[in-house]
Amino acid sequence: MLNRLYILSLCCLLFSCMKWEADSPENFEATTGLFICCEGNFQYGNASLSYYNPSTEVVENEVFYRANRTKLGDVVQSMIMYDNRGWIVVNNSHVVFAIDPVSFRELGRIEGLTSPRYIHFVNQHKAYISQLWDNRIFIVDPATYSITGYIEVPGMEMGAGSTEQMVSVGRYVYCTCWSYQNRIIKIDTATDEVAGEITVGIQPRSIALDCNGKLWTITDGGYDGSPYGYEAPALYCIDPERMEVERQFRFKVGDTPRQLMVNGQGDRLYWLNDDVWTMDVTAQHLPARPIIESNGTLYYGLTVDPVHGDIYVADAIDYQQQGIIYRFNSAGRPLDNFYVGINPSSFCWMHNAQFTMHD
Amino acid sequence: MKEDKDNQLFRHRLSCINYCALCIVHCALIALSINASAQSRVNRLGEVVAWGKRPMKEIGVQKTSFDSLALKENIALSMADILTFNSSVFVKSYGRATLSTVAFRGTSPSHTQVTWNGMRINSPMLGMTDFSTIPSYFIDQATLLHGTSSVNETGGGLGGAVKLGTLPSVAPGFNLQYVQGIGSFRTFDEFARFTYGNDHWDVSTRVVYSSSPNDYTYINHDKRENIYDDNHQIIGWYHPKERNRSGSYKDFHALQEVYYNTGRGDRFGLNAWYIRSNRELPMLTTDYGYESDFDNRQKENTLRAVASWDHRRSSWRTGLRAGYIHTRMGYDYSREVAPGIWADMTRSRSRVNTVYGQAEGEYSPSRRLYLTASLSAHQHFVKSADKNVILQDGDRAIVGYNKARVELSGSASAKWQPIDRLGLSAVVRQEMAGTTWAPVIPALFVDGILSSAGNVMVKASVSRNHKFPTLNDLYFLPGGNPNLLSESGWTYDAGVSFDIGGKKPFPFSMGGSITWFDSRIDNWIIWLPTTKGFFSPRNVKKVHAYGIEGKLNVAFEPAKGWVFDLSGSYSWTPSINEGEKLSPADRSVGKQLPYVPRHSASLTGRLTWRSWSFLYKWAYYSERYTMSSNDITLTGALPPYFMSNISLEKNLKFRPVDLQLKLAVNNLFNEDYLSVLSRPMPGINFEFFIGITPKFGKK
Repeated sequence: MLNRLYILSLCCLLFSCMKWEADSPENFEATTGLFICCEGNFQYGNASLSYYNPSTEVVENEVFYRANRTKLGDVVQSMIMYDNRGWIVVNNSHVVFAIDPVSFRELGRIEGLTSPRYIHFVNQHKAYISQLWDNRIFIVDPATYSITGYIEVPGMEMGAGSTEQMVSVGRYVYCTCWSYQNRIIKIDTATDEVAGEITVGIQPRSIALDCNGKLWTITDGGYDGSPYGYEAPALYCIDPERMEVERQFRFKVGDTPRQLMVNGQGDRLYWLNDDVWTMDVTAQHLPARPIIESNGTLYYGLTVDPVHGDIYVADAIDYQQQGIIYRFNSAGRPLDNFYVGINPSSFCWMHNAQFTMHD
Repeated sequence: MKEDKDNQLFRHRLSCINYCALCIVHCALIALSINASAQSRVNRLGEVVAWGKRPMKEIGVQKTSFDSLALKENIALSMADILTFNSSVFVKSYGRATLSTVAFRGTSPSHTQVTWNGMRINSPMLGMTDFSTIPSYFIDQATLLHGTSSVNETGGGLGGAVKLGTLPSVAPGFNLQYVQGIGSFRTFDEFARFTYGNDHWDVSTRVVYSSSPNDYTYINHDKRENIYDDNHQIIGWYHPKERNRSGSYKDFHALQEVYYNTGRGDRFGLNAWYIRSNRELPMLTTDYGYESDFDNRQKENTLRAVASWDHRRSSWRTGLRAGYIHTRMGYDYSREVAPGIWADMTRSRSRVNTVYGQAEGEYSPSRRLYLTASLSAHQHFVKSADKNVILQDGDRAIVGYNKARVELSGSASAKWQPIDRLGLSAVVRQEMAGTTWAPVIPALFVDGILSSAGNVMVKASVSRNHKFPTLNDLYFLPGGNPNLLSESGWTYDAGVSFDIGGKKPFPFSMGGSITWFDSRIDNWIIWLPTTKGFFSPRNVKKVHAYGIEGKLNVAFEPAKGWVFDLSGSYSWTPSINEGEKLSPADRSVGKQLPYVPRHSASLTGRLTWRSWSFLYKWAYYSERYTMSSNDITLTGALPPYFMSNISLEKNLKFRPVDLQLKLAVNNLFNEDYLSVLSRPMPGINFEFFIGITPKFGKK
């Protein structure tokens, strides 16, 4: 009987079975194309990077993991090209990765960040990283992947701070202050200090520079019940030198305009507001109709090919599955679509070493 | 006519005798297996009474009960651990001593209603219950009510209900028990219980304190460490061996109980349970932040108290309960910006006060009819302050909400046994939250004995159910959605069970059941990101959850002095999204819900010889999808895993004290596994326990 019991016990001792991926890193050789940053789900660490070649219409998903055998992290926020390196900001992993845009292999990483949002390059030895929950913009040396200083934003509390997207005009960098904020600040890159600011509507998030040297920003208006306020979102055209609003276009209360950007020539604006909208930078009124209508889709990201003018729109679908990218020509006619990772939200172009960032 | 009645009565008695005989065999076997533990013995005797009857109250009910052996296995275990290894419900664990939720039959954690001594303890803000904060040593009775069966207890249990309680009786005289546990990762668990009992009074005081830095090591497969040369060129890499960062905990629990029994059918009781918990929230495996730069911490102070009066007579019973829950939760996420200077990034505070009252009555006008009625009220007062905001004018404001909501639940039921072999039960429940009345919740149950030999019984039930949105669902800022609809659905189940036992070729008992269930839930609430950068709940899905649950228990005495007891359970739970496609690209329709395993199983085997006891526990979860489309990607895979724990216990009897020595080994095969993406789990770990039970002059 004891023997039977022993055998029975052994049968019960079922061994472990969870296997871990042990494959070697894959080799890639990318040329021109588009990187798609897929946020993944907050707190699940399943962000990913996709690469799409418009000329071959081939997409490669999870390229960061496949090239490096390490996960990209939790909520990838943005990506930019500079100095033949791709810089990927992974918000809730507190890290910025630098990758080789051809092989997707990691070249280095910047750590020690609070909650990084965007990286903007001043020169080869200086870049700024905006932060959420911090009143400081971090100054880093991209050559050594190290933090070299901070820009403290006046009138912003440490734990409640929020700096977001940045653009350069001459020696100044203009940065939106987003979460529970209403300003655009002007940073003197010579002194790394805030040299001016302009108040706009509630929560300006994206910023773009047009062919006339004018800044454009779009606010989200806050949310219903917010103690900071809730108002109609607006599109602003700002003169960067005088720091004055030249034109203002109001949306309806409850609208969700976002993802403002310009095309490669800088003469047209594009943004999302359920549908895809575009207007000339000289327009005096908001357009009456979108260029691309949503069709049960949940548009979450937008970019325009800076060379060919094709429009790429990311659909998060239900936020819990692989999102899809719809590609349209500049007139809004469908060309192609392809699945990427979860919650595709931002893009980064690589055009024969002429790199452009859009978010 | 008289002969018919006599025959009927005789068959009824025979059936009861068979049932009782079977139960006595089963309980005798189990009692043998615990001969060294005075406390366990007391609890087991309580179970004998329950087994000896076929309560009309439980006609058609599908339930899983946990015995005191499982609940009192060791002081380090939470109810989440107990449920993982002793049932087939899905326990989603975010790590050791970290949030653990329970879901039945492919539903979500908020579809599991939880009661403690009759009072519902689900968070009115979140709807769910964290089972990692319920020490199993504080629970004397635990029952899972599957699907429809939960309607007998409460509404809103679209998946089911977990009924937790304490026993109102203790051993006579003064009794003391102290247990100390010392384990891996500098884990210390301490438990003390003092009881006093006489003919009228039962007094019990229990205290638990657990603490650990919880900094276990694991291979981080989600990261790669680079090796650089002097020119910052990567020349090599490896997956780092990391410690669980920011995972420490200090949990204190105290439970005071006083019961007074008049001896004339009245019993008054008071239970008060205080929790003080201070837990860090572990960093993700994909986090490159420095542990010393951040403080991510959750603090909880909770008091739950229930006063009760039970009045029993031969054919009826009434009961009154009044309760109060006070919870203060604090969540802090702060960043060290300069040495010693910390900035709050999130400073969330919530305060919940719940006042509870319940009246219930049971009446049995004849032995074939049993009527019950119950009315309960929970009045919640919730204040949630989630963030400090500097306003445009420079003033400071708080983002949050301050809401009160009353929840009423009333039910009436009739149980009828037209013949001994057949039982019918009908329940009608009506619920209200705030000013909204849910449609009537009806439930019908039937059971019947197919064969007295083997006690083969069939059961079936059907019910409709509703669950109101939680206060966070409705009012959380930002994102709360006051336009949410209640989740609702129909559930059907049917099953067959058996119990056999005997003395040849050796004393044994065997019981088992298999149940089919089918649920359809509309307006499933899920929190999703928005284009404004925050999450918001929406009624998005129509879910069809169905499957099979099976249980098997075997106990036998293979040789004199040896007792073998084996319990297993298995669930097959497809939980399918049957909603409309959100867009033509949507690939989630017809697919299994994320984080719901299709298969889960558990097995517990205990071998006892004299004062030695060996326990083997095993649990299995099949692959959990992380995407609604069920795509499995390199960065989103959660493969199946098995988990094995063992323990060896020796009881020593001395004149002044009894000693219990136990060594527990968790994750026996050092499984490198994940329950949830990016949440590291501990490898093999050990804990040694010593229990001291003074006899105070007793033999």
